[in-house]
Amino acid sequence: MEAIDKAWNASSQYPSTSDLLSNAEENEISTIVLPSKFIKCSRTDLAILISRMLTFLIQINDSSSKSSDCDVSALTRFHSRIPPDISVFNYLIRLTKYSSLEHCVLLTAVYYIDLLSSVYPTFTLNSLTVHRFLLTATTVASKGLVDSFCTNTHYAKVGGVHCSELNLLECEFLKKINYRIIPRDENIDHCKLEKKHDIFSLQKGSDKDLINSLKIKNNFPENESSYNVLNTYYNKIVQLVGSFESSPDKSKVINYTLPYFIRNIHTEDIVDKPQLINIHPFKEAIQDVSGISRKRNLDATVVEDLDMVSDQNEKGYNDKTMDNETVDSESSVSKKHINQQRLPKISHRTEH
Amino acid sequence: MKELKHENIVRLYDVIHTENKLTLVFEYMDNDLKKYMDSRIVGNNPQGLELSLVKYFQWQLLEGAAFCHENKILHRDLKPQNLLINNKGQLKLGDFGLARAFGIPVNTYSSEVVTLWYRAPDVLMGSRTYSTSIDMWSCGCILAEMVTGKPLFPGTNDEEQLKLIFEIMGTPNESSWAGISTLPKYNPNFPQRLPKDIRTILQPHAKEPLDDNLIDLLHGLLQLNPDMRLSAKQALHHPWFAEYYQRPQ
Repeated sequence: MEAIDKAWNASSQYPSTSDLLSNAEENEISTIVLPSKFIKCSRTDLAILISRMLTFLIQINDSSSKSSDCDVSALTRFHSRIPPDISVFNYLIRLTKYSSLEHCVLLTAVYYIDLLSSVYPTFTLNSLTVHRFLLTATTVASKGLVDSFCTNTHYAKVGGVHCSELNLLECEFLKKINYRIIPRDENIDHCKLEKKHDIFSLQKGSDKDLINSLKIKNNFPENESSYNVLNTYYNKIVQLVGSFESSPDKSKVINYTLPYFIRNIHTEDIVDKPQLINIHPFKEAIQDVSGISRKRNLDATVVEDLDMVSDQNEKGYNDKTMDNETVDSESSVSKKHINQQRLPKISHRTEH
Repeated sequence: MKELKHENIVRLYDVIHTENKLTLVFEYMDNDLKKYMDSRIVGNNPQGLELSLVKYFQWQLLEGAAFCHENKILHRDLKPQNLLINNKGQLKLGDFGLARAFGIPVNTYSSEVVTLWYRAPDVLMGSRTYSTSIDMWSCGCILAEMVTGKPLFPGTNDEEQLKLIFEIMGTPNESSWAGISTLPKYNPNFPQRLPKDIRTILQPHAKEPLDDNLIDLLHGLLQLNPDMRLSAKQALHHPWFAEYYQRPQ
């Protein structure tokens, strides 16, 4: 949760109340009440939220590291020479769609930011590293968590890098995190310990003291540990960047909230399906906290899932690879949506 | 896998990952259970193992499975070929190639798991919500195989596999297994069979007389309904193993 906490602390610098009010007056922004369980959230909404979260982190990290731009020792395999042309949002939607990323894979990618940075401090998520990081993280998570996954050739093609580079990235990533790919409560702590003592894996017997020294506080029933790690990330992300105003990524004009962020709401109506509520969130919320929950606002439209959205969405989803090749038609996408224009090749090489 | 450290699970020592080669370094084991049983065949007649040995192996198998399940891992490919043994009579679970972590909600649980002969009926009928019970069915099949020296349900395809299972265990229905009709490959026209006495089937090939406790344990593991199947922990507390858990430590 470190990355999120960092963003949380920094969030006070972001839009002031007066900005929010003036924005809310100008735009009518609809609010989606998301299901409380991430597995039921539409993948489009999840991708939008995660893209906002990443953009948030990138903003913080980019601004704090301006000075050390020329520091060669700070370069990692994940670095691009210049920021790739495709936005984080479009890139994430692209990966989600063409590589059929599952909910848990998307959230695990966010979890991997914390995992990787905790054992590899040279790595920070910024505008130069985010693309390769996302590609690698989703590739590893798909293989580690999900039964049906694609080949590296496929992932690399979607991600716009050569397969050999993805192989190297994957290998580097796995070595750094010491193959601890399952998002569980104590995973990051164990990973740090292994790194610190340079061991492949902790021994229950001889490393007992090390393990006990962690004093893991586990608030969850043990059998749901993984589930809760990801759900915690989900909740935090919605909390942090759910509202459009607080998100630096303006790709989608929409507010997100979770049932229990709203008081007096009839939760049984919205547990399973995301719903669209038409309100002026900030104006009303400020005047009347329970405003959002008024039943009359709930005559809602169900929000489409990824595949439908992408059909309506003209640009950006599938027109830009980071290399100049278009994606195979095997991905069940109608060609007409693919922008045939050949884009200039983006410099996307690592520095070492 | 590297977190699974137990004396009944093959230890992964290291992973050597280069660009085009991945090497996993495992603990050395002498043999596997399948080869061991084959080596005991006299002439053309498969022969079961001595029951004391069966019990020792089954205990270790269940210990290993229980440890995996405690650590939220499904093995999903338990079979004699994947149970490695050494010259000390230790048995360890190996080949975690199909294993996966559970507890993370995903939409794609493959039903194409577990070698056919050891695949549970719920999985054969297309269930994607299976859990630890999937491994317990395999444990039951392995137990029967150690007793007789030959596989219990040697089907050649999915339908035949189910047919073989139902012929011995009886055909399940909604009353014996609530929710069965919702499984994707459930067929109300499965040939109706009554359960057979498993002792009569196994005894002719067994080395020694089979006691009631052993038969009861088999029934517990080979429950068609996954919710009724014994868990690894429960199986370890079965009276058949009384001599192990009552042994002063």
